[in-house]
Amino acid sequence: MTRYIARRLLLAVPTLAGIVVLVFLLLHLAPGSPVSAMGGESGRRVSGRAAQEMRRLYGLDRPLTERFVKWVGRVARFDLGESFVDRRPVSERLREALPYTLELNGLALLLTLAIAIPLGVEAGGHPESAFDRISGAALFALYSTPSFWAALLLQTLFSVKWKWLPLYGVASDPAPSGLAGLADRLAHLILPVACLTYGSLAFYARLVRAGVAEARTADYVLAARARGLSRREALWKHAFRNALLPLITLLGLVLPGLLSGSVIIERIFAWPGLGRLYFDSILSRDYPVVLALSLVGAVATLAVTLAADVAYAVADPRVRDGTGP
Amino acid sequence: MKAFLGRLPGSGRAALAVVLGLWIVAAFAPAASRTASAIRLEARLLPPSASHPFGTDDLGRDLLARVVAATPISLAIGLTAAAVSLLVGFAVGGVSGYLGGLVDLLLSRVVEVVLCFPVLFLLLALAAFLPPSPSAVVLAIGLTTWPGDARYARAEILKAKSLDYTRAARAAGASTPRILVRHLLPNVLAPLIVSAAFGVAWAILAEAALSFLGVGLPPPASSWGGILSAAPAYIEEAWWMALFPGLALFLTVSAYNLLAEGLRRASTERGGYR
Amino acid sequence: MGALPTPVPTAAPEPVLGYIDESKKRVPMEGGVLRRRLVGEPGTLNAVLQSGLPEQQVLQYLSRNLLDFDSRLNLVPGLAERYQVSADGREVRLTIRSDALWEDGSPVTARDAAFTIHRIVDPAVASPVFKPVFEGLVSVEALDDRSLVAKFREPYAYHAMAFVLPLLPEKRYSGKKFARARENRAPLSDGPYRLVSWKPQDAIILERNPRYFGPPGHFDRVQFRILPESSVAYRALVAGDLDETQIDESLKERATRDPDFNRCCRVVEFYNLDYNYIAVNNRSPLFSDARVRRAVTMLLDRPAIVRNLFRGSARIISGPWAPDSPGYDASVRPLPFDPAGAARLLAEAGWRDSNGDGTLDRAGKEFDFELLVSAGSNIGRQIDEMLAAELARVGVKARVRPLEWASFIERIDAGDFEAASLAWSASDPNPDPFPYWHSSQWPPRGLNSGFYRNPEADRLMEEARRQMTEDERIRIYHRLHAIFRDDAPAVFVTNASAKYAFRRQIGGLVTSPIGFTGIWPGPVGWWGTKAAP
Repeated sequence: MTRYIARRLLLAVPTLAGIVVLVFLLLHLAPGSPVSAMGGESGRRVSGRAAQEMRRLYGLDRPLTERFVKWVGRVARFDLGESFVDRRPVSERLREALPYTLELNGLALLLTLAIAIPLGVEAGGHPESAFDRISGAALFALYSTPSFWAALLLQTLFSVKWKWLPLYGVASDPAPSGLAGLADRLAHLILPVACLTYGSLAFYARLVRAGVAEARTADYVLAARARGLSRREALWKHAFRNALLPLITLLGLVLPGLLSGSVIIERIFAWPGLGRLYFDSILSRDYPVVLALSLVGAVATLAVTLAADVAYAVADPRVRDGTGP
Repeated sequence: MKAFLGRLPGSGRAALAVVLGLWIVAAFAPAASRTASAIRLEARLLPPSASHPFGTDDLGRDLLARVVAATPISLAIGLTAAAVSLLVGFAVGGVSGYLGGLVDLLLSRVVEVVLCFPVLFLLLALAAFLPPSPSAVVLAIGLTTWPGDARYARAEILKAKSLDYTRAARAAGASTPRILVRHLLPNVLAPLIVSAAFGVAWAILAEAALSFLGVGLPPPASSWGGILSAAPAYIEEAWWMALFPGLALFLTVSAYNLLAEGLRRASTERGGYR
Repeated sequence: MGALPTPVPTAAPEPVLGYIDESKKRVPMEGGVLRRRLVGEPGTLNAVLQSGLPEQQVLQYLSRNLLDFDSRLNLVPGLAERYQVSADGREVRLTIRSDALWEDGSPVTARDAAFTIHRIVDPAVASPVFKPVFEGLVSVEALDDRSLVAKFREPYAYHAMAFVLPLLPEKRYSGKKFARARENRAPLSDGPYRLVSWKPQDAIILERNPRYFGPPGHFDRVQFRILPESSVAYRALVAGDLDETQIDESLKERATRDPDFNRCCRVVEFYNLDYNYIAVNNRSPLFSDARVRRAVTMLLDRPAIVRNLFRGSARIISGPWAPDSPGYDASVRPLPFDPAGAARLLAEAGWRDSNGDGTLDRAGKEFDFELLVSAGSNIGRQIDEMLAAELARVGVKARVRPLEWASFIERIDAGDFEAASLAWSASDPNPDPFPYWHSSQWPPRGLNSGFYRNPEADRLMEEARRQMTEDERIRIYHRLHAIFRDDAPAVFVTNASAKYAFRRQIGGLVTSPIGFTGIWPGPVGWWGTKAAP
């Protein structure tokens, strides 16, 4: 087992290296630079000597390989550098945005699992039933709706027309404290989380349903029924368990989808998370932040994939021995 | 093939009809393109009416004409991007799964790199590099979705490889190409078609998101996502600018997803190992 | 989705199109909190390092300038109680007030001023706003605590404008790395307000500075919230969470038809010095002939743009100034919208469809180009699409290409484009066209991104810079204006009004051709009432 994990970890290194090099190259080769992006759309245009001086300040006149080696050296010492935009340590900016992203994506993931799994099990357990058909249709509808469209519609309905929910932001201003404060923050979370959840929810629920529907007719389930387990118990104890493994793997695909999907949601709802930071940093060519976030994102995705693979390996001996995936 | 289609559930058949209908609309789209590009500032932002069933946009162009004219582009981009993703994915995944060993190791790393690569960043970088033509958009979407197909293909090939009849064929001395074509390909075909249908739906959504973020097709040759991208600025005074292109997207994507689901069911019922 | 009700138009109060000055009105109430909007997060609160509008908006409360513009764009004393420009136009002397204090009680001295300017010209410091202005500086020194002398290489009529400049406290930066000092996020104030807190991505809060030498601001506190999306800011305003925001044409339209808005708020609209134009590459074989450039101008239906896109609140311009700028000569009429005349001009310049493919060509080159526009600019895109449609009718193929801002600016600054839709934003009233239209200012050296060259215009621009008498200068600019209209170095489009929305209880507004933020006291002079929305 440990050999398998060690092997996978070792294999993750070239992957990480590949990602880092590619991101670095693309970033620096793309048109636009921190100098041209300075100040954003309301900023001043700089030219001539002033522009040259600024390029030197950002180290843009050094050759690419030198900059890359420098950056790798820094990262190896856990120093992510300073943001070009405000000269603060990148780690500080990441730390500020992280809790908001965790809040949003964490809740979305929890909700996705909490709704998708029971829904999928129920639908998969009784295929072609009324429940299955209706939920199937609803899930299709959800899955086919672009998130930005849904966000706009929900905002218009719930915030503008009916004024039930706040329009944007993390909390009201001034923010109430104590229990009322908690309620206020929850109210602000509802729309963004809803928009982020429904897509992955639909995707995942259908997967669960398919997995359970298949496993349902498997021998071990029939055997369990024969032994006297109720339908429900058989479903949960056996069918679901066996459908679980592929689902864990696929969770690894859901996660990056959440992270990139949250960029649009964070923009629309003015949510100060990592997604918005990433997008803004790309637009303002804040190289250190973009590199740091790409690295962090890649590591996170790799970690999740690795965890999923290990979980698979635990269950399926063929995998460990290398005769399987 | 006919038997295959015959096994489509009712919903799948309805979806197929919708998809075919959309392609017919796409065929008629060029007729609408003149109206779609007719800028008439005096007729800006008019609500739906008899003369403008979908209303007009912020430059006075008839929205119905624009939505219709965008049909072929949206569909074509969806199809091509899915095709690119599928071809690259299945090629890489298939080779990786079949050959195994070092090749598998290397190719799997490549798949992993692309899988863990920050999608948004790649798309924005591509948008900055390449002139925003339909091919650039197709490339962008295809390049970011092929790893999914690759992993899927690899898993299927591995499964098929370990089956008895494949082993038997090998033992009997059949050559590699023969095994590939006679045994593996037919079994991969069904998942391939299913994957394609899902892929189209996904690609259409992805293209809409790209256009919405401002990195899709340039005006006026818009896709539905492109038309939608101008909508947020007018969301309160011209709700129709968001509703109708969004509905078109929704209809198309649902149809493809339903079709894909139907195809998947039809293929699973073929009995055997799935 | 149920049908949304059609809005019932209520009688909207007429927006004021012109300048308003409520500063003489009686202030009903002192105190309260002013809640303002920032379109983006300030990167720094170091006055020298600032690079965009959000920073300027906050710094206006914290840092007084040496000199200021008043609402009539005259230079008036700020931290400096008087200034003097030498007869040869090369030297500027300033005397700083004796009662100017930093918020810790120490005096603001000429040494702080010298320190600030030394940092600006320091090659190791990125100061995009002020560096260009001090490029010709030879020396600056503090003669004593209150006197400052700055010497420039060339005489220039507008040297004094360079001193509309906030100062930094020298002692706070000694021994520290300038760009990274924590001071940049917690600056020492010498203005009417001081910084209380800055929560990134959230809000910046200011309160009155008791050590300020001048009359205190009317509000107890000022609070800035970061809201990048204008439509969100609009809704926040109507909901009562915000007191003011800048808006665009479509939001203004929504506001006039929105009964909730009219109950709580008003639109304030006035002309500033900003304008839209389409830059063309004068070196390109497509646009090197002035007749072609004039033809393109005549193919843009500017009257329709004013009428329909701006609903009348914009003015067509015929040169690189807004009508309210002293450089603008109202007698220089804009070229008419004349597609037939344009087609004739194109033919005269040798463009014909010789191969019958529907596109004009000349000497083997097809008239086919990319028309760049910034992805975030709605108006730019709309203007471009209109122009492209009209161009197509006469056989010119223009492909509108939205680019994300950083890429867009990089191409503009490098001169790597055929045509591009730009907006010129005036942050000061300096009408000198030299940096943008003189042939010595071609990229990468300067901002004449269109590679325009006209020897007579060059000569006039140089002469104007040396001309110390205002009237003489204006005469030269008017001659230049006529040249620019006929030579069409770019397609000048419109000067649209600046639009803001305010809650009704905010008063004391004073508008100017450079907006609210560029003048003194500007927003610092606003007051509020406790009156019900």
